[in-house]
Amino acid sequence: MGQILMLLFVVIGGMALALEAALLGPLGESIGRLSASLSIFLIGVLVFSVAMVVLKLAGKRNYLATLPKQPRWLLTGGLVGFMYTIVLTITTPLVGVGTTMVGILCGQISASLVIDHFGLLGSERRAIDRYRIGALALILLALWLIY
Amino acid sequence: MLLTLAFPLLLLGGMAIAAQSSINGTLSVRTDVVTTAWLANVVAAVILFVLVIFFEPPQTATMFSVPMWQLSGALFGTFSMVAIVVGVPRIGTAATIVAVIAGQIIMGLMVDHFGWFGNTQLRLDEKRIMAIVLLAGALYLIYLSNVRRVKTVD
Repeated sequence: MGQILMLLFVVIGGMALALEAALLGPLGESIGRLSASLSIFLIGVLVFSVAMVVLKLAGKRNYLATLPKQPRWLLTGGLVGFMYTIVLTITTPLVGVGTTMVGILCGQISASLVIDHFGLLGSERRAIDRYRIGALALILLALWLIY
Repeated sequence: MLLTLAFPLLLLGGMAIAAQSSINGTLSVRTDVVTTAWLANVVAAVILFVLVIFFEPPQTATMFSVPMWQLSGALFGTFSMVAIVVGVPRIGTAATIVAVIAGQIIMGLMVDHFGWFGNTQLRLDEKRIMAIVLLAGALYLIYLSNVRRVKTVD
């Protein structure tokens, strides 16, 4: 049951991402694409700084001081994802939005299956089985129908 | 020719997203969700700040002059970041990525269908409805894969 609820929670997270994209497009037209992205992350810093203070006041442990002691590769999350923005900027004018989306989604899904299969980047091992192959096939079919 | 060059680049970009989700998921277990999300936003903001200074052509408006609601997209973005960071350690990277993609596509099709936010209206046709059904099927299969795994571990 917990698995289903968590899956639905993440689906809603994906929906929020689409809404963000829909709002970000027009914003980028008026203040510039880079500035629009910057505004998103500045607001993010603000939101999570406030959340940190609230947690601290609630007596929860603060982990900020433990960040420098973490392995370096664990701190690169913001950097790696940033590549995506650069790739988008280069390829969208070349091959169009549809092809760009399909390419990005294929990369995401195949990499995530491999990460789970080998337990890379500190994740738990979840082997590729016929269910996962089936899921991959259905997604490719869905993408083909849309684009 | 252009496509053969662009596609590997796109795959790489997609892989970067999956890697980021996984790395942030691991960091959130060692620290907590708020610290992880805070760090990711700080890193991205610093890089973008530098890029804006050097590469952004002058614009007529700034983020301080546009109406507040136009910036509300960020709140959706922060929520989705939390959902991903919470999801990865509990259901795995693949299930999280597939769920995010399904949510994105379904909401994207709805935005198109209703023409929200001043976007061009694109009605849901049989093909698009079929695609939503297939995505739901993919989610169900990933769920089955996870549940069966839990059982064999027990």
